[in-house]
Amino acid sequence: MEELKTLNRRSFLRNLSILGTALAYSQLPQLAQAQSIKDIKITILHTNDVHSRVEPFPMDGSRLQGLGGVARRSTLINQIRKEEKNVLLFDAGDIFQGTPYFNLFDGEVELTLMSKLKYDAGTFGNHEFDNGIEGLLKHFDKASFPFLTSNYDFSQTALAGKTKHYQIFKKDGVKIGVFGLGVNLDGLVDKKQYAGMQYEDPIAVAKRIVPTLKDKYKCDIVICLSHLGYSYEEDKVSDLRLAAATQGIDLIIGGHTHTFLEKPTEVKNAAGKITLVNQAASGGAVLGRIDFIYNPATKVKTITYNNYVLNSDLV
Amino acid sequence: MRSYTNIFAALLTILLFANCNTPKRVWQKETHNYKIDNSITADTSIVNYYIPFKQKLESEMNRVIGYSDNHLTRTRIDAESLAGNFFVDAMLEIGKSIDPNTQIAFANKFGIRADLQKGNITVGNIFELMPFENYFTILEISGNDLLTLIQYIAKTNGQPIAGITLEIKDGQAMNIKINKESIDSTKTYKIITYDYLANGGDYVVGLSNPLHRNDTGILVRFGLIDYIEKLTKAGKTINTELDGRVKNIK
Repeated sequence: MEELKTLNRRSFLRNLSILGTALAYSQLPQLAQAQSIKDIKITILHTNDVHSRVEPFPMDGSRLQGLGGVARRSTLINQIRKEEKNVLLFDAGDIFQGTPYFNLFDGEVELTLMSKLKYDAGTFGNHEFDNGIEGLLKHFDKASFPFLTSNYDFSQTALAGKTKHYQIFKKDGVKIGVFGLGVNLDGLVDKKQYAGMQYEDPIAVAKRIVPTLKDKYKCDIVICLSHLGYSYEEDKVSDLRLAAATQGIDLIIGGHTHTFLEKPTEVKNAAGKITLVNQAASGGAVLGRIDFIYNPATKVKTITYNNYVLNSDLV
Repeated sequence: MRSYTNIFAALLTILLFANCNTPKRVWQKETHNYKIDNSITADTSIVNYYIPFKQKLESEMNRVIGYSDNHLTRTRIDAESLAGNFFVDAMLEIGKSIDPNTQIAFANKFGIRADLQKGNITVGNIFELMPFENYFTILEISGNDLLTLIQYIAKTNGQPIAGITLEIKDGQAMNIKINKESIDSTKTYKIITYDYLANGGDYVVGLSNPLHRNDTGILVRFGLIDYIEKLTKAGKTINTELDGRVKNIK
């Protein structure tokens, strides 16, 4: 397995150096206790734009040839679940369309497989509407996980009450709030295929939901599953714009533009902190992974010295 | 885990009293993007689930319907592509078989989702080329609307077209010919496309005010399969070439 690993080395080193300074200055007796406390790690795994790619890409000379495959993804995810205690698995949309598995079986295979892989949540991409809302509902019961669709109002459609605006996951006492943002379907999907659905501005919706997750529900980590697309040359909302225009989102898991990022992009958000934007190519060729590591010892230093140099790049 | 959380809570309390600062969690982040390649063993429980679907699918998909002399590549960027030319040339023939007055075929390069390999062409190849549930639509539009459409084609650096040739300079269409003749804004033109584009999909402009619209009810994919089978029956192969129908001028 080739692993495209990137570690935020700069901030890690900075953490270390600040920790050193803090230890030298501090005389607090509870420090020894703090150092003995182990890291809490929340592992986020994610896919996007899998496009019915049940089996690996064929060896046809294309860019992603030989990559992907749900059975391999299952092996990798199971292995990570054995190694890590707190794993969450998400998908950022466009589950459907791209191989005849969708055209012949109408989404049954994709949704059943995602349930077998124990996805924790997904969001809708534009291709989820390729057979209309009725088509999407045909095998909807095969999905054992929720779809988070915060800016799609389905209340006047047959999908009413079948999706959620957000979901809060609790792992090791850490609350992870997750919501989902979809792309404007106007011009992408035939209107009759999503008739009755109301589209809301994703940035406005994020500005409404993130404070709810942070202040009301006290979420420690906020994640957005987005099918808006990574970035555009034209004046159009994207993950990079969403990140810059909002505050409080730790991670945007993106899709739609099939963007392959070797490492997540760090975007300075509206509060001057960093929001990460990641995307994992398409077709299940890549599995994205982001670990949020919380060290109580590090926290001690932060509070004691109020030294935010260390977390200037962390939300 | 409970005792651990308790120690943590106790520590927090001590610190809160020791400092007036609001406690703030500090997250160190590590990221890995794993490539899913053949070094990872397939999970047999997953394979076993989809095998019956795969068998059913393969028996339907592996049927050979024709032969292509060349590898037909698609593009999302370039002005012209082999897969694009094949697609619209087939559409124009299909259009003429439905309505003999059809002069133009128009598709969208983002909608062509796979290359066609050199050699045998199967039902599955056409499914991957055109996975969408789109239906052929024949529109009669004014010369002015056709010009609007052609400017859209130029602005998006070319789209698959048959029956039209043009040059693109700085995003503008020049030297436009409709079947080798200059465009006449007082005339009307019959154009075959599919419902998704006829309804304004992919921000297409110029198709929203047709003088006449014929929704054929023929699925694009099945139309293409039928077209290739007819070629084969006539002893012909697919021999698409690039012919400079859409050219970039520096």
